[in-house]
Amino acid sequence: MSGMDLLNVYHLQIITFMAVNSILALSFYLPLSAGQLSLGCAGFMSIGAYTAAILSLHYGLPVFTTIPAGAAAAALAGVLLGFPALRLTGVYLAIATLGFGEVVRVLFLNLKITNGALGMPEIPNLNDYFSALYRSWGLQGDLAGLDLPRLAALTTVVFCYFVLAACVAFVLRQENSRTGRAMAAVKADEVASGVMGIGATYIKMLAFVQGAFLAGLAGAISAHVTNFIAPGDFNYHRAVNILLFVVLGGSELVWGGLLGAAVLSVLPEFLRFMQDFRWIIFGALLAAMMVFRPQGLLDRQLLCRFSLRKKRAMDGMDARASSGEVD
Amino acid sequence: MFWQQVINGLTAGATYALVAAGYTLVFGVLEIINMAHAEIFMIGAFIGLLLVTGTGCPVWAAVAGAMAGAGLLGWALERLALRPLRKQGVSHLAPLISTIGVSIFLMSLAMKIFGPQSVRFPASVEPRFFNLFGTVNISLLQIVILGISLALVVALKVLLARTRLGKALRAVAENPEAAGLMGVNVNSVMAAAVVMASALGGAAGVLVGLQFNAVSPTMGIAYGLKGLAIIIVGGMGSVAGAVAGGLLLGAAEVLAIAYIGSSYRDAVAFIILIAVLLIKPSGIFGKLEGRKG
Repeated sequence: MSGMDLLNVYHLQIITFMAVNSILALSFYLPLSAGQLSLGCAGFMSIGAYTAAILSLHYGLPVFTTIPAGAAAAALAGVLLGFPALRLTGVYLAIATLGFGEVVRVLFLNLKITNGALGMPEIPNLNDYFSALYRSWGLQGDLAGLDLPRLAALTTVVFCYFVLAACVAFVLRQENSRTGRAMAAVKADEVASGVMGIGATYIKMLAFVQGAFLAGLAGAISAHVTNFIAPGDFNYHRAVNILLFVVLGGSELVWGGLLGAAVLSVLPEFLRFMQDFRWIIFGALLAAMMVFRPQGLLDRQLLCRFSLRKKRAMDGMDARASSGEVD
Repeated sequence: MFWQQVINGLTAGATYALVAAGYTLVFGVLEIINMAHAEIFMIGAFIGLLLVTGTGCPVWAAVAGAMAGAGLLGWALERLALRPLRKQGVSHLAPLISTIGVSIFLMSLAMKIFGPQSVRFPASVEPRFFNLFGTVNISLLQIVILGISLALVVALKVLLARTRLGKALRAVAENPEAAGLMGVNVNSVMAAAVVMASALGGAAGVLVGLQFNAVSPTMGIAYGLKGLAIIIVGGMGSVAGAVAGGLLLGAAEVLAIAYIGSSYRDAVAFIILIAVLLIKPSGIFGKLEGRKG
C-alpha cells in the first residue's frame, strides 16, 4: 500500500470521525468533571445535527454559520433541561437525561421539518464546501500530488482537528482556573463546596450547558460530514457509545476520554472481520473494565509515570488527593 | 370507548408495573440501577417463546420457566458484575456502567442467536372476549395478563411483608452494615433481590410477548427506559410506587394514542417523568428527603 492510498477518502473519514467522537467524549467529560453523569449527549448531538441540517437545507445558510448555530441550539436546550434535571444527582440525573434523549428522538421522528423516520438526505458536505472553495480560488487539477476531492477531504480533517484542538485547549485551560477548581470541589462534595462559598447550582449548570454545547457542535459537524442524518443515529446506543469513550479511556482525565474516543473509533474498523461479535465483545469489555480497572485505561498515576515533569505532576496529584477528590 | 381504552391501558400498565417492580427491588436493596434488567426481560420472553414453541406447554408453565431462567441469569449477573464492585473505593457509578455492559452483551448475543427481526409468539391463549357493562370488551388474554401480574405483585408484597427473607431484604435496604451486624448474610440477601427482580422481569417478558404476539432482541430497550421512568415517577425503592406508576403510564399511553396519535407513545413516559420532577422531585410515593444517587 503506497502512502497515497492511506490518504483515501474512506480513511480520512474515519480520522474525521475520530475528531467528532473526541468532541463528544469532551461533552460527556465536562458535566462529569462537576459530578454530573449526563447521558443526554446523544439528544444534544441530535439537536445540533438537525439544527445545522435544517438551516443549511431549508434556509440555505453556509456551513460556517450552521455549525455554531447547531451548537448554540443544543446549549439552549441544555439550559432548558438543566433547570429541572440538575435538581437530581447520580443515577437519577442519568435516567432523566437518557429520557430527554428519547423525547428528542421521538420528536424528530414525528416532525415534518425533520422528515420523520426517513431522515434528512443531501445535507451540504464539508468536502464539497472546501472543493468549491478551492475551485473558486482557481485550483483545478492536482496540488502536491493530491487531487481535488482528496485535498478537500484533507481540509475537512484539518478543520475538524482544529475545532477539537480549540475545545481541548478550552477544557484544559478551564480545569486550571477558578471555575475548574470549583467544578472539582462540587464533584468531591457539593455541600462542602457550598460552605466554601461556591454556587454549586451555577457551577453544575455551567458544566452541563458546556457539555450540551460541545455535543451540539459535534452533531452539527457530523451532519456536514455524513450528508445524511436520521433519528435512529441518535438513539440509546449512541448515548451508551459516548459513555464508553470516557469510561474506557479514563474518566478522571481529559486525555482519557480522548484516548477512548480514538480507540473506539478505530477499533471497529480493525474488528470488521468479526463484525457480528463486535458488540458482544464491547459489552463484556465494559463489564470487565468495571471489575478490573474501574478508572479506565488512563488515570493520574499512569499519566504521572510517563510524565517528563514527574516531580511536579506527582505534587499535583498529592494536592488533589489531599483535597479529597477520590471519585 | 373511554373505558375500553382504560382496560387496554391497565393491561399494558400491568406489564410496565412488573418491569418497574424489578428495578425498584434492586434499587431498594442494592442502591444501584440495574441497566441489564431490560435485557433479562427480553431473554425471559425468548425462554417463554422456546418453551411454548418447543414443548407446547400452557402459558403458566412458560411464565414459570421464564422466571426460573431469568432468575438464574440474575444470579449470574450479581455474582459476575455486581458483587466484585462491592468494595471500598469503587465509584458509585461503576455498577451502573457494568450493568450497561452486561445489557449490551446480552442484547447482541440474542441478536446473534435469534436474528435482529422480531419472532412471532404463537397465540397460546384462546381469542375469546367477555362483555362488561354492555360496551366494554375484555379478552381472555387481557385477563390472563392482568391476573398473572396481579398475582406476582401480591406475592412479592406478601414475601416482603411476611417472610423471614422479606424481613432480611427490608433490613438490608434500610442499612446493609447494621443488617450484617444483626446476623443477616448481606451478600446472599442482595443476590436474592437480584434473582427475584430478574424473575419478575422474565415473567413480564413472556406476558409482553403474548400481548403483542412478537418477541425481538431489541424489545427490552423501550420497556427498560419506561421502567426507569416509572420508578422515578413512583418513587425509588417503593413497590407500591412502581405498580401505581406502571398503571398510570399504561393508561396515559393508551389515552395518548387514542387522542393525540400513536407516534408519540414512546415519549409519554418521559414527559410525565419531567413533569413529576418539576412538581415533586421525590416521586409520587417517594420520601421527602434529598435524593442522593
